[in-house]
Amino acid sequence: MKILAYLVWAAIAALGAFCLGGIAINRAEPINSLWLVVAAACTYAVGFRFYAKFIAARVMMLNDKRATPAERLRDGLDYEPTNKWILFGHHFAAIAGPGPLVGPVLAAQFGYLPGTLWIIIGAVLGGAVQDFVILFASMRRDGKSLGQIAREEVGTVGGFTALVTVLLIMIILLAVIALVVVNALKGSPWGTFTIAATMPIALWMGIYLRWIRPGKVLECSLMGVALVILSIFGGQWVSESATWAPWFTFGAMGLSIAVVIYGYFASALPVWLFLAPRDYLCTFIKLGVVLALAVGILFVRPELQLPAFTRFTDGTGPIFAGKIFPFCFITIACGAVSGFHALISSGTTPKMIARESHAYPVGYGAMLMESFVAIMAMIAACMLQPGVYFAVNSPAGVVGATPAAAVATISNWGFPVTAADMATLAKNVGEQTLFYRTGGAPSLALGMAAIFARGGTSMLGFWYHFAIMFEALFILTIIAAGTRVGRFMLVDLTAQFSPAAARKLTGIVGINIVSVVVCAAWGYFLIQGVRDPLGGINSLWPLFGISNQLLASVALCVATTILLKMHGPKFMWITCVPLVWLVAACFTAGWQKIFAPEPNLGFLAHATQLEQLMRTHPSATTATLIFNDRLDAVVTGIFLILVATILIDSLRTWMGILRGTRESRIYESPFVPTALQPEEV
Amino acid sequence: MIALRRFGALVLGLLRELADESAYERHLAAHGRAHSAKEWRHFTEHRLRAKYARAKCC
Repeated sequence: MKILAYLVWAAIAALGAFCLGGIAINRAEPINSLWLVVAAACTYAVGFRFYAKFIAARVMMLNDKRATPAERLRDGLDYEPTNKWILFGHHFAAIAGPGPLVGPVLAAQFGYLPGTLWIIIGAVLGGAVQDFVILFASMRRDGKSLGQIAREEVGTVGGFTALVTVLLIMIILLAVIALVVVNALKGSPWGTFTIAATMPIALWMGIYLRWIRPGKVLECSLMGVALVILSIFGGQWVSESATWAPWFTFGAMGLSIAVVIYGYFASALPVWLFLAPRDYLCTFIKLGVVLALAVGILFVRPELQLPAFTRFTDGTGPIFAGKIFPFCFITIACGAVSGFHALISSGTTPKMIARESHAYPVGYGAMLMESFVAIMAMIAACMLQPGVYFAVNSPAGVVGATPAAAVATISNWGFPVTAADMATLAKNVGEQTLFYRTGGAPSLALGMAAIFARGGTSMLGFWYHFAIMFEALFILTIIAAGTRVGRFMLVDLTAQFSPAAARKLTGIVGINIVSVVVCAAWGYFLIQGVRDPLGGINSLWPLFGISNQLLASVALCVATTILLKMHGPKFMWITCVPLVWLVAACFTAGWQKIFAPEPNLGFLAHATQLEQLMRTHPSATTATLIFNDRLDAVVTGIFLILVATILIDSLRTWMGILRGTRESRIYESPFVPTALQPEEV
Repeated sequence: MIALRRFGALVLGLLRELADESAYERHLAAHGRAHSAKEWRHFTEHRLRAKYARAKCC
């Protein structure tokens, strides 16, 4: 039996290696997406069965006889032993945001190969390891947060720095995902109506749950989903109506202001009325769409039209500037390694684990699932004709302000496309134009629509807008929740300096003031992105990627400290290898974004170029753009300094432990034997 | 058939957990209370306040 198991695993490993080799070597024919799916699935299986199991057994020494916080601190609410597969789904739903969908689509400008390899290898050796170790650490510490663990294990500097880093990341994250929505909805009455309709639907759900049928969340969500689908058909009717279409047609600036106002109200309204029902709706649609996309890809098995490598590996990409190293590795964060996951792994999940061994499928396995979502997004983007992909994703400032100029530029790059092709595609999906829709969401929606419509055109418009609705719905939910969380963080931060002032900020006036401050902060970056002649994504997405990966570096520093305290230097490499890689990628990217001499890459070089323009053509807009470039350079610099601080603090701790001059105390909760019966698990 | 039923129960369990319905049932059991509109409102106030004080993932 054991020999058979060895043979099966050897066959899986060989198949994975064969498929990885196949996609790496192929340069000529379009490759079928099944190669990517099989390569990813086999690598995940081997990583899960051998690497993660090794970490679980030898490094963490997970012990099912030890009571988890869910058992010891059981309160029926936050702390509750939960079935491991239910918790797996719960954790996956919590970590899966727009990042793994948008990042791979943007990174596809390098071709399918660099992003795909990073998603698969990064997740197995980096992202899943980070999630797993932090989940384990939190589980052994009564479900404490990353910041609390950092304070205890590394030092107070680390804890405070983690708080500031997370707040800054949150602001950049909200701005960049809001920009994705704005670019997807500008000039689109169909999309705008559908998204606008989700707001009264959420309010109605809130009222239904509060007063009509309290507690019937599934029933209410089912009705919500039906109403949302109806609203997509309603959007088509609106877009075809000469009377109504203008009411729902907005430019980028108008939409940006609307999204900021939405963010304020959504975060300030009672949670039960708007945010919670919207979140229920969004979670169920998200899981349904991810499942449908996986099934769709397996049925349709689309061919990838983008080559393995494009000419933009040289750093001259139209979507964002910069070479594969480091920019591919910061553009794809959530599908490979995401610092944000460390916040989730040290949030709700560790309080719900029934047995220590469950951390293995939940922490490591859920990240592999997220990575697979990123692979699906990569497939959806790369199945588009390359010319179409670049026409949709390139800003006017790079390819030219008219469709004729854009198709000429893109065709000259070697990716033929015509204005007529683009017009036909736009007509088929019910849009006026698909040019300059930067941000990744529209091209992902085109790919998803093609999969769901199975190559036909009759339902392409519906599926395109279904995909846009799906992306915008959960981005806007994150904006509402993120603004609210940003408010709490700002109050926490104020409390570090003045507890009395922080208390004042928790009253009604204080809440409104802090909400306005948070909305103004991310709203500023959003409007900066809209005004950016290079499309906004060029500057904001790398900023978000750098910050998210820097947060991952913080988490990996904490994880390394814990492994060092547990075993000495023996197993440090497990978290040090991804840490070194991320630090190298983030610091190189950060340095290049600030100081690179190319104006499309370096913030300061771009500011200098604009300054020269100011001398001949002075204008207030150019002055603002110069200020924005310098602000982005400062923000990037702050991120780098914050993480350098944590790195130095961690290095000091590690050196102290290795030399024996520092106490190697582990702040784990004491061992208590479990009393949970097998049927309770 | 049994496997299918088990899988169905697991999916329903996940949906109920995501919908906070399971947490509500646990809350009722823990406090020995019966379901009512008032009890649901009391539960959601605590539950949702804690839930939306945490960051949502990107």
